[in-house]
Formats: sequence, structure tokens, C-alpha cells
Amino acid sequence: MSAWFALAWLNSLRILRALTGAGALGLLLCALFSGLQVSAASSNPATKPPACVNCHAGITASYSHAAMQHALEPPGSDPVLEAHPNLSVQQGKYLYIVQTRNGHSTYSVSDGTNTISVPIRWIFGQHSQTFVLERDGDMFESMVSYFQLEQRLGPTPGDGNIVPRDLSEALGRKITVWEALQCFSCHATDASKGEKLELDKLRPGVGCERCHVGADQHMADAVRGNFSSLPKSLRALNAEDAGDFCGQCHRTWDATVRNHFHGPSNVRFQPYRLENSRCYVGNDPRISCLACHDPHEQDNHNLISYDAKCLACHGKTAASSTSAVKSCPVSKTNCASCHMPKVSLPGGHVVFTDHFIRIARPGDPYPD
Amino acid sequence: MTANPVAKAFLILIVVAQFAVRGHAQQADPQFEALASRATEARNQQNIPLAIELYGETVAAKPDWAEGWFYIGLLQYSSNSFTAAIDAFNHFLKLQPDAGPALALRGLSEFETGAYDDALRDLEQGVKKRAAEEPRNEQIIRFHLSELLVRAGRFEEAVTQYDFFAAHHIKDPDLLVNLGLAGLRIQDLPQNIPLENRQFLETVGSAAYAYLSGDNEEARKQFDELFARNPATPNLHFFYGSLLYKNSPTLAIEQFRAEVEHSPGNVFAHAVLAFRLTIAGRYAEAKPEAEIALAADPDIEMAQIALGRALAETGDVKRTTEVLNKVLQKDPKNLEAHMGLADLYSRAGRREDAYRERMVCLGLAQ
Repeated sequence: MSAWFALAWLNSLRILRALTGAGALGLLLCALFSGLQVSAASSNPATKPPACVNCHAGITASYSHAAMQHALEPPGSDPVLEAHPNLSVQQGKYLYIVQTRNGHSTYSVSDGTNTISVPIRWIFGQHSQTFVLERDGDMFESMVSYFQLEQRLGPTPGDGNIVPRDLSEALGRKITVWEALQCFSCHATDASKGEKLELDKLRPGVGCERCHVGADQHMADAVRGNFSSLPKSLRALNAEDAGDFCGQCHRTWDATVRNHFHGPSNVRFQPYRLENSRCYVGNDPRISCLACHDPHEQDNHNLISYDAKCLACHGKTAASSTSAVKSCPVSKTNCASCHMPKVSLPGGHVVFTDHFIRIARPGDPYPD
Repeated sequence: MTANPVAKAFLILIVVAQFAVRGHAQQADPQFEALASRATEARNQQNIPLAIELYGETVAAKPDWAEGWFYIGLLQYSSNSFTAAIDAFNHFLKLQPDAGPALALRGLSEFETGAYDDALRDLEQGVKKRAAEEPRNEQIIRFHLSELLVRAGRFEEAVTQYDFFAAHHIKDPDLLVNLGLAGLRIQDLPQNIPLENRQFLETVGSAAYAYLSGDNEEARKQFDELFARNPATPNLHFFYGSLLYKNSPTLAIEQFRAEVEHSPGNVFAHAVLAFRLTIAGRYAEAKPEAEIALAADPDIEMAQIALGRALAETGDVKRTTEVLNKVLQKDPKNLEAHMGLADLYSRAGRREDAYRERMVCLGLAQ
């Protein structure tokens, strides 16, 4: 489906939604569209298999810019490396070079005498990036990563204390099959079958099926006009379930506590941080991950835009579940700038918003 | 297997080297010093009977001379006079109760006399007090410790000892038999196992050893062969599941499920399956498994927690709190039970209660 057709289709949707109930409309349009697909397919056997975009063009278009879609960048089309074709950094006695030419990126490490060069096969992250490399059948996490903040290479978080004994070790940290499974399961789609890595089949980034389990079956059924196998709606998740769902990759509160993940690094585990907040309660949709974040869209870095979410409870007219909810005596705007402070990861290359909502005073130690 | 002479010799050398430095500073009396020197000379010349006799005279003259007691213990141990070694280490440890190597040597001596409970206690204390920091000492200490842990029914801790052996490529038939015993949860020592059963246990140990060495494919192959030939062996699937759990909870759960299918009476496996399903967030599947386990053994804690957490998902506040509080009555610091209560209250909209329980959990997890 061409872009203009998608746009026209979207506009039609908007108009029609205004006229009728969205749920019934969705079914109607999908049925209508699936009919088009079937007839198109029957007239042209070479037609591509059905895809989510066929019916969900708007969401698919917006999701194409979302961070999760870019959790893994395919080699050869990574805008970051294209924009920075010559990256290098000296780490101890080793010189690291990441070079991009004609859509191919190469990662090299040299001790001044010898050099190991490998193609970059997998690029983890959209802005700041770590590379997963393959050498002699083993996989390695690159010893250096690209950091957007400084627009240069630096030690990969967590690997900064590794002192390589030789050039081979300097290439990167060897990762086990199990570790690779975990990495790829959150950064890519269809990277494994069962518990076996199938990297030749992976699709970069978090695809629709990764969250909407059953989407493939739904598509297959939908083209035949059967809409009974819709994936479970995630919209209805309560805050607790949303935290557990998103926490599959962003770490749940339970997993963080159970594994004793302490220190500022756990600021990356947003469900854990959020659920430590005094205002958090699992049955209140106003504090769910989904209350503030639409996973189908790009992250919104305009903090003021989140004010309405806070004021949904802390505003004067908020229908709060208890009378104990306080309103802020300092400001009614830009809430997150004070109550969700920014935290630099150790090493300082990456900054995260702390989702532990609280009265945060300057100079306070990081609350675990 | 008893401590083999080579390993024993290394152990001795290392503890002697550590000890000798401190020993000399304590000597002052010229007569006593002369006697001690003769004892040392005899020891250096490998004249063990004479060395024991002379060290005996030194401690008779000066009963608080720790070094003398230590060498008597050490020499008796190396002469396979384990009861006498224990006696000497008893004296030594009264003077220096925190000496890790002496605790470990007394533990090894106790092992040889069949005082297994004492041996386990001393070896664990020895490890805590850094007796196993040198790899060769660690080898012999962990070998005996793993056997004693199996005998004590502390199977998971026994398997943990094998991380060291796998990392150092240390492999031995007795080691594998013991690993097989740990995996199949058989409380016994390898030396008590009849010859006709050893081969099977060694094969089980070998499959597990492959996994612990990082060779997942080989481990899977060996376990698959074992499953094919011994489908009804209790705890075989359970063992593989336990090994897999750290790296792949999903595969582990499959094995736990296979275990309860092959051995429906394996109550512990039902409880573990329930608990692991709970941690995976598969509460609906966990509940019936927990109920099966609790029907057979109402006090099995893992099943109580699993049931509690599964009930929390349903919002049954009354029954959930009953179940989880039962756990907390016995073990007020049980993290999983407090996590279950936090989850329950959160889902029920009891914000303050949920917050309180979460803070308890954070305190416990420090």
C-alpha cells in the first residue's frame, strides 16, 4: 500500500470515527479491507503476505519512529553510524575504530601492532548504541559503545572495569547463548524459536507480534474475514499488569527486588522505580505506564506535556481515590522536572528520567 | 574418595606457609626454642613420627603454643591419624578459633572418621574464614563439602560447589557420581553407592557437568538420552530443570512440568513448578500445582507462596492474606511473601498497605 493511500485511508478513518463507534468501525473497516486484500491476492499471486500496516496504517506509521521499533538497528542503514562514519577512541592500550563505508560498518581494535576487524552485525539502541559482534562462532558485546550525548565512543556501560589480557579480549565481552537470547528477545522480533537463537530470521526492533501475541494468527485469519482471533487488548491493563508487561524488558519491580539490583543503574528499570512511588497503586490507571506513554509513538521529551497526567490526581478537581492526595505548593507546571529528576548512569554517558516520583531535594543521595 | 595424597600435600604446604610466619614471633624461651627447632627440623626432614613426638613435648611444656598444636594436627592428618588430628586441632582452635585452614583441616579429619555432621560444620566455617581461597585448597575442600551437602540433603548448595570444578575443568568419577546424587536428590555419599548404580549416577553427573561447563548442546543431548532410557527416574527432569532455570526459566518450567507428569507423586517438584510459574507471572498455571503440593504437604513454603501470589491475582484479599501470613508467621522476613502482599494490596487499591509492604521488601532486599 503506497503512502498516499495510507494517508487517505487514515483521513477516512478519522471522519468515520467521528460518526460511529470506534470498535464497531474497526471491525467493519478491517472486514472491508480484508476483502480488498483477498481479491487483490487472488488477482496477483505475487502479492506480499498480509502485514499489520494493511489495517493499522496510522499506528504503524507512528510506530516506525518509536524508540522500541529502533531497539535494534539493521547494519547498513543506521543513521547514527552513517552520520559518524569515522569514530575512534583509545581505551588503555587499545585503539577502537568504528568505520562506516558504503553502508557497511566495521569495528576494529588495535594494540598498535596487531588489529582485529569484524563487521558490525547488530546495532543495539537507536541513539546511544552498543554493537554485538561475531567472531569464530562466538558473540561479543563491543567493549566500546557510541554515546549520543558526547557523540563519540566510550566504554560500554558495565564493561568499564574489564581489563583485557590480550587483543582478542579487547574486542569485546564474550556473551553466552543465554545472554544473547535475552538481549535479542528485547531488542528484536523473531530472533529465536523456543530458546534457540535464529538470528538469520530476526526482524530488528520490537515488532508488533512481540507485544501483541497472536498478531500473526490474527492477520492470517483477518485476510479470510475472520476476526475472532484478535490479540488480547493491552489497553485494558491495570497499572500493575502494565508494569509487569512492560517490565518484561524494562524490568519489573519484582525482578529488580528479587535480583538485588541496587544503585543508580536501576534508574533504567522504570516499572521498578515507578512502583516505589508513594502515589503508585496497581488498580489506578492514572499511574500506569500507559497513562503517560504511548508505546506506538516517539518519546515525548516535553516535560510540560506530562503535567496533565500528574494533575489528574494532584489537581484541585482531581477525582482522587483518597483525600490524602496533596497538590504541589510550588508549581502546577513542569512537575516532572522536580519530581522525576534526571539521573546519569555511572560513567555519565547516558541520562535517564527517574520514574520514582517523589519530593526530590538537590543533593539527596540516589534512593535505591 | 578420601583426600588424595597430592591434594593433601598441597593443602598442607599452603597452610604451613601461611602459618609459619606468625609462629616464630611467639618464641622467646631458649630451651623451648631449641625444642621447637628440633621439631621443625624433623618435620622438614619428613620424619613425621619424631616431629609429632617433639611437637608433643613443646605443647606439653607450653600448652598455649598454638603453632605446636597446629603442626601436630597437620602431621597426624597427613599420617592418616585422623582422631589424633582432630584432638590437636581442637586444642589449636581453642587458642585461635577463627583460623580457617585449621577449621578446614579438622573438617577433613572428621570426614575421614565418619563424623560427617561435624565435618560439614567445620568445612563450611573454614570456607567462610577463607580457607578455600587458594585453588588447590579449594579443590579438596569443595570436593568434601559437596559430598557432605548431598548427604545432608542440601542438594542445591551441593550443585553450587560444582561451578568451581567446571570452571577449573576438574573432573573425576566420584565427583560426577556425587553430582548425580545431588541431582537426583539422593541423600548419600558416593562411597556408599553400590557398583551397579554408580554408572547411571555418573552419567547423570556427566550431563550436568557438561551444562555447568557451558556446553548446553552436549548437556541437552546427554539429558535427552537419559530421559529416553530412564523415563520414570524420579527427579531426572527436575534436575535438568534446576540447571536450566538460571538461564532459561521457560525451558526449566518445561522440565519441571515433565517431572510432575512422569512422577505425579513428586510433591517437591509440584511445589517448585508452582513457585517458578509464579515468578514467571503464570499465576493461573501455578495455582493448581501449588494446591496439589499443599494437599500432600500443607507446610511446604514454596507452594504456600505460589498459592498466595496466584490468589492475589484474583483479588481474593482474605484468602491471600491468610496463606501469605501463614508463611510470615514462620518466617517474618520472607521476601516473597511480602512481595505477594504488596502485589495484593496494590491490585486491591490499598495504596498505603501496598507502599508499606514494598518498603519492607526493599529493606529485606538490601
